[in-house]
Amino acid sequence: MSVAGAATVGAVEAGIPLSTRAPLSPALDAESREWLRCLRADDATREEAVGRLHALLVRAARFEISRRRPTLPHLRGDELDDIAMEAADDALMSVLRRLDDFRGDSRFTTWVYKFALLEAAVKLRKRAWQGREIPLEPESWELLSSSAQAPEAEAEQSELLEAVQTGIAETLTPHQRRVLVALAVNGVPIDVLADRLGTTRGALYKTLHDARRKLRGHLRDSGLALESGLEED
Amino acid sequence: MERTDLKQMLGRLLGPAGPEVGCETCFEELDRYVELELAGKDADAAVPGLRAHLEGCPACREEHESLRALVGAEQAL
Repeated sequence: MSVAGAATVGAVEAGIPLSTRAPLSPALDAESREWLRCLRADDATREEAVGRLHALLVRAARFEISRRRPTLPHLRGDELDDIAMEAADDALMSVLRRLDDFRGDSRFTTWVYKFALLEAAVKLRKRAWQGREIPLEPESWELLSSSAQAPEAEAEQSELLEAVQTGIAETLTPHQRRVLVALAVNGVPIDVLADRLGTTRGALYKTLHDARRKLRGHLRDSGLALESGLEED
Repeated sequence: MERTDLKQMLGRLLGPAGPEVGCETCFEELDRYVELELAGKDADAAVPGLRAHLEGCPACREEHESLRALVGAEQAL
């Protein structure tokens, strides 16, 4: 489930009717107001506006794909364009479903772009990990272990890293440990992990946040200065 | 492992130090945040905790960079 989808579910769970129209900012520009007027029309104006909106979303999705293209050498041009069209289609549905949530805190086009960029980014991350196993533990511990023993490592950072390893092993729940290792150590994209674990990006980030907070607490309890190991050179 | 790699690893494991918003709030506020940034205004004061979230969440960070680049390119035209 996407972040946009999760936010919609949250509104439903909170008992907020989806048809409730957010009050518009008085500073909203004329072009954005015109978009809203056309998309809320009940004649051919709406159909024409939906077509223009879709074209805008396709452009945004293609923009995202072209930014990531160097990291996607295995995907052909027509596959990438299919992904752009799918992302734009999904974004269009999200935008139309959530039109009443638009508060006018930005221009309408900026608001809709984020839906297309999100959909394209999520699809590309999932495609990049399609068929790949998600590393959750063994190789991660080797990675941490080897980094802690690196001869060129600064003593202070190595001490911190060793304490982090202890914290991971002793203070985190098994779920927190798996999520932290997959996301922070092995670099598994959060959407991909959410998909594999049958949860949402928001829920996984909350788990990651809680795990990090526990680790920071463990380091403080161990008398270690957290920021000294993270400060800039 | 180089010192920079170690530091990055620690950063990824420990995350941002300050309070941060979650992924849903980040998505809700991203358009406003980007427009404030591009207008040279204090986006961090307007949306507290969003910058920290971008530091801690690579996926949201990528989406922020993309939206900023797209809207910035349009404004430059």
